[in-house]
Amino acid sequence: MNADLEKLQETNKTELERRGSIFNIGAPATEAVTTRDQIAVGFGDGTVRFFQSGSDPKTVKAHKGVVLSMTNYEDHVLTGGDDGRFLKISSDGNIEEIFNFGSKWVDCVASHKDTKVCSSGKTVYIWTKNKDKPQTLEHQSTVAGLAFDNKGKRLAVSRYGGVTVWKLNNNKWTASNYTWKGSHGTVTFSPDTKYIVTAMQENQIHGWRINDKADLAMRGYPSKIKSFTWVGDTPYLVTSGSSDAVCWPFDGKEGPMGRKPIVVANGGKELATFVKALNGEKAVFTGFTDGSVLLAEIDESKKPIMIRSSTGAEVSTIAISSDNSQILIGDMKGSILLSSLWADN
Amino acid sequence: MENTSQVPVTVLTGFLGAGKTTLLNRILTEQHGRKYAVIVNEFGEQGIDNDLVVDADEEVFEMNNGCICCTVRGDLIRILSGLMKRADKLDAIIVETTGLADPAPVAQTFFVDQDVADRTKLDAIVTVADAVHLSSQLVDHHEAEEQIAFADVILLNKVELVEDNDIVKVNDRIRKINPFAKIIKTTRCDAPLDEIVGLNAFSLDRVLDIEPDFLESDHDHEHDDDVTSLSFVSDTPLDMDKFQDWFGNLLRTKGQDILRSKGILNFKGEEERYVFQGVHMLMDASPMGPWPKGKNRSSRVVFIGRDLDNMNLKEGFENCKSA
Repeated sequence: MNADLEKLQETNKTELERRGSIFNIGAPATEAVTTRDQIAVGFGDGTVRFFQSGSDPKTVKAHKGVVLSMTNYEDHVLTGGDDGRFLKISSDGNIEEIFNFGSKWVDCVASHKDTKVCSSGKTVYIWTKNKDKPQTLEHQSTVAGLAFDNKGKRLAVSRYGGVTVWKLNNNKWTASNYTWKGSHGTVTFSPDTKYIVTAMQENQIHGWRINDKADLAMRGYPSKIKSFTWVGDTPYLVTSGSSDAVCWPFDGKEGPMGRKPIVVANGGKELATFVKALNGEKAVFTGFTDGSVLLAEIDESKKPIMIRSSTGAEVSTIAISSDNSQILIGDMKGSILLSSLWADN
Repeated sequence: MENTSQVPVTVLTGFLGAGKTTLLNRILTEQHGRKYAVIVNEFGEQGIDNDLVVDADEEVFEMNNGCICCTVRGDLIRILSGLMKRADKLDAIIVETTGLADPAPVAQTFFVDQDVADRTKLDAIVTVADAVHLSSQLVDHHEAEEQIAFADVILLNKVELVEDNDIVKVNDRIRKINPFAKIIKTTRCDAPLDEIVGLNAFSLDRVLDIEPDFLESDHDHEHDDDVTSLSFVSDTPLDMDKFQDWFGNLLRTKGQDILRSKGILNFKGEEERYVFQGVHMLMDASPMGPWPKGKNRSSRVVFIGRDLDNMNLKEGFENCKSA
C-alpha cells in the first residue's frame, strides 16, 4: 500500500519536481534573493542558506531568531533579524555585523550599489561607502517597507498613513509625503519610476503617480496582498491576495486608473500568496496557500502550467537564478524545491 | 473555527504601579517549562531562561473598514506575523499594554486582522489592579475603568496592605463594573501562572460559564460616563429575527459605549444554544450544541459599558421574546 502511495505521489509530481531537488529545512522560508550565481534563502530558524544546482546548500547561522528581511548587495546579502542585528553575509559563511539594535527588530532592508539601508522602529539608517556612521531618517510610525528607485536617487519608506519618498540631492535627503489613510507595508517603484505602490494592511493595494500624487486605489481582494512583482514591458503589476494572479496594467498616461486588471493562474479554492516575474517574459509564477505553483502568461486565453504540486504549506517565496536557468520555491513548512526551468539544462 | 495550531495570546493591562512589571518578571524568570514571547513597551530587562522579549511601540491604527470605533494595534499585527515565522513553536504570547492604554484596540486586532486570527487567538485579558489605589483611580481615570471592564481575569494585587473590609469594598466596586471577570487576590502578583495564561477565555464555549444573575445592582448614584454592567435573563424563548434586528442595530449605533457583551440565547424553534461575545462593534457568534438535559433553557445576556441606562436595553431585550 505504501508502494502504491509512493507511485501515486510520483505520478502526481510535476516535471520540475521530478528533475529538481527537494530540501526539507524544517523552518519557514521567509525571503529569497538571487546573488550572482546562487539563490540565498532566509529561514525562521535564523539561518541563511545558499542554494546552487548540483550541490547541497551552504548553511550560514546568521540570526538568533527569524530572518525578517533580506536583499542582495554586491556579491553578498544583507539581512535583518528579530535578534536586532543587521548583517552582511557572503556565501562562504563570512558574517559582518553592520549594526546591532538590541531588542528592536530590523524589519526592512534595502540596498543600491554600495549603499546599505535598514529600518528599525520608526527610523531608517543609511550607510554609504567609506562612512562608519549611518545617516538617519525619522518617521512618525514604524517603517514597514523600503524601496529604492532604479537610480538609487529616491528611497520610498512606507508606514502608517502613507509613504515618505526621500530624494537625494548633494548628499542630503529631502522628504515628500504621499498620504492615504491606513497602514502601508511592502512598497515598490514602477520600473519607469513614475509610480509607487504599497500593499496595505487592509485587503487592497494603493498607488500614487509620483509627479502629481494622484491616487490609485486597487481594491476587491479577498485577503491581504503579501507579494507583488512587475512583469513584462507594459509593465503589469502582478499581485497575490486573490484566487488568481491579479495583473494591473501600468502603461499609458493613466496606468490602471479606470481599467480592469487581467486575471491569470486560477488557483480554484486556494489564494495566491507569492508572485514572481519570469525575467524577460510576459509571464509570472504564482504560488498558492496549498503550496502549488503555476506559471502563466499575462493572457487570459492561455492555460497556466503546473510547476509545483500541492504540499499543504503556503508558498512564502520564489526566486529565479540570475541566468534564468533555475527556480527556487520555498514554503511556510520549510520545504524547498530547486529545479532547472528548462528541460535540456 | 477552533484551531489547535493557533498560539494563545494573553493581554496584560493594569494601571501604573499596580504590579504589572512584577508579574512580567515572574513570567520571565520562573521555571515554567514553556516558551513564551513577551511583547512589551520599553522594558529594561532581557528575558531569562528561554523566553523572548520583543519591544513594541503601541501604535494604534484606524482601519479603513468603515467601522467607526475600529482601531487596531498596527505594531502587533507586524510583530505577531514575525513571531509566526519562527522555527520553534511558542506556547503563548503575552502582550503588555502601558498603564494608560485602552485595551480595545488590542482585542479588536484579533477580530479584524485575518492573518492574526488565522495563526493566533486571544486567550484572555488580564488586568492587574492595585487594591490600595483602585477606588481612587476609578474615579480619576477612565482608562482604569476600561481595564477593569475588559478583563477576563483581575489580579487584585497588594491585598496585604489593605484591611479586610476595604478589600470587600474594592471587590464590590469591581463587580459593579465587571460581573464576569475572575478576581484573584494576590500579594506581589503571586497567582499561579496557569490561572493567568492559557485560559481560553475568548473561546465561545467559555461564554456558557457566565452566571450573571447575582448582579442586580442599583444605579442610583452613578454618573452617565461611569462604566457599569447590566444583565438580563429570560425563560421565554427569543425570536431570532427580532433579536438579530435589535442587537445588530444596538452594536451599530451604541457600539462605542458598549465595551463588552456576552450571551447565551434560547431561540424559539432552535434545538441548539447560541452564544455570542463582542468587543465594541465587533462580534463573534455561533451555535454551541444542544442544551444540557434537565437544565433550564434560559437566555442570559450581559453588557458592560457607559451610559447603558439610556439604551433601553431591558425594553429591547423584552421585545425579543417570542409571542
